[in-house]
Amino acid sequence: MNEALDLSLREQTRAIAAGETDAGELLEATLRRIEERNPTLNAVVETFPERSREMLAAAPQGPLHGVPVVIKDEWPLPWRAQRFGAADMLADSAPGESGPYRALRDAGAVIVGVGNMHELGASSTGNVSVYGPARNPWSTERCPGGSSSGPASAVAARLVAGAVGADGIGSIRYPAAYCGLTGLKPTFGRSAMAGHHMAEVSSTIVSGPLCADAADCRLLASVLYGEELRGGEVQGLRIGVIRDEVSEDVAPAVREACEAAVEDLRRETGGEVREIELPELAAATLATVLIANGESLNNVTRERLNHLDPELSPLGRGLLKYRILLPAAATVKSAQLRAIARRRLAAVFADVDVIAWPTVPAVAPPLEAPLVELPSGTLTADQANVRGGALANLTGIPAVSVPVGNSQGLPIALQLQGAWGRDELLLDAAEVLERANGRRWVDALPPLAADVLEA
Amino acid sequence: MEASSNANDFIGIAIAAYGIEADEIELAVMRAAHEMFWPPILELLDLDNSEAPVEPTPDLSRAPEER
Repeated sequence: MNEALDLSLREQTRAIAAGETDAGELLEATLRRIEERNPTLNAVVETFPERSREMLAAAPQGPLHGVPVVIKDEWPLPWRAQRFGAADMLADSAPGESGPYRALRDAGAVIVGVGNMHELGASSTGNVSVYGPARNPWSTERCPGGSSSGPASAVAARLVAGAVGADGIGSIRYPAAYCGLTGLKPTFGRSAMAGHHMAEVSSTIVSGPLCADAADCRLLASVLYGEELRGGEVQGLRIGVIRDEVSEDVAPAVREACEAAVEDLRRETGGEVREIELPELAAATLATVLIANGESLNNVTRERLNHLDPELSPLGRGLLKYRILLPAAATVKSAQLRAIARRRLAAVFADVDVIAWPTVPAVAPPLEAPLVELPSGTLTADQANVRGGALANLTGIPAVSVPVGNSQGLPIALQLQGAWGRDELLLDAAEVLERANGRRWVDALPPLAADVLEA
Repeated sequence: MEASSNANDFIGIAIAAYGIEADEIELAVMRAAHEMFWPPILELLDLDNSEAPVEPTPDLSRAPEER
């Protein structure tokens, strides 16, 4: 059964449908693997075997029939309220049928566990959580990325073949990049969001898949979107690149791998690389943070802030109290920046099909000190990562992170961003990249998973 | 306002004005956050966006409408 555990999401689905793999045995094997590997990773913060068995018993013959998946601690389940990685999430939380839960259930999937996440979704690192940090299977002393830390760690370690995360400012793409996975941030509004505690106020958060490769992301995203994301041939791809800090203030190994991947994509599609300009990018990045900040503090009162759960991290408490002091005028300016950035992108996407830059400028930093060394100096990982992750959330466009290399034993990733609604094109382009490098990076296993396989 | 020199003053005044209670660790976090965020926020506030188009309720699932 271990062989079935290590299949891709689509291969597991096919094997179950063909009667080659028994879904009940796969579920039990998955639970055993979580017991074996998770203590090292802290990727899965809760399992509920009886609930999972009940899901399987009632599973319809959908596109994910019988396949175990993990869902981030950002979504309520009928038997479990989300905790948002925090002792105090400053919002009502109760068990319920979230949109992603319904989509997975109706597709026949089996939710086998809840994935860890960074406290309050507030960082790209995943190193702070009420459950303790999740760990990166490529090096357990390194950050798995955040805020969808547990889903990424779980898939990278092959606890499951697919997981559902959420992306408010890069929170699917950063952990996908750090853990060597493919992660899709959908066009705003295309994927299931019902039941999220900020669904009514957030203009940046979307649900999305984290999987080993683009084809699995396509399968899981189709379930979350409620429509099939069809694949297509990519010819003559026009790739936009930017000469700015987001692509140049980058660790040399990351820059080299990403530039090589862009060239691979150009060559394989018979396309061309065009330089583009996004002069508002730096301001737009700050604008994203301010807008998301304002939305996350919706209805948070002074009294509430003065009675935070003491188990919330000191960093989380201090940042929450600082964030409420930020001036409303800056949020108004941010809304203007959003309009400018959206119009700029609409013009850019008349000339290019995708915009490419590194998902993150350096490989996963240490859990204990999430700092990265860049040509400009030492930055916190969050300061550095937000440069590349925020634009898609600010403007609503889709983006995908694709593994394209490895440095110091840690994954490197390229981000592709497309025009609104062109999620399918991004997955098509990601598959072209996989073929171009012989699937070298999407099939690579972290030592934790590879050692067990070889044993 | 220069964040680095005035973070202590600003945070102290601001939390008093808002009635926010904070312990020493939280204050240290707030000061550090202020030094990081405040300079770019000032730059943002200084931007001349007077010619900027307005999207009062943008539909983020699609491109902005032609004007």
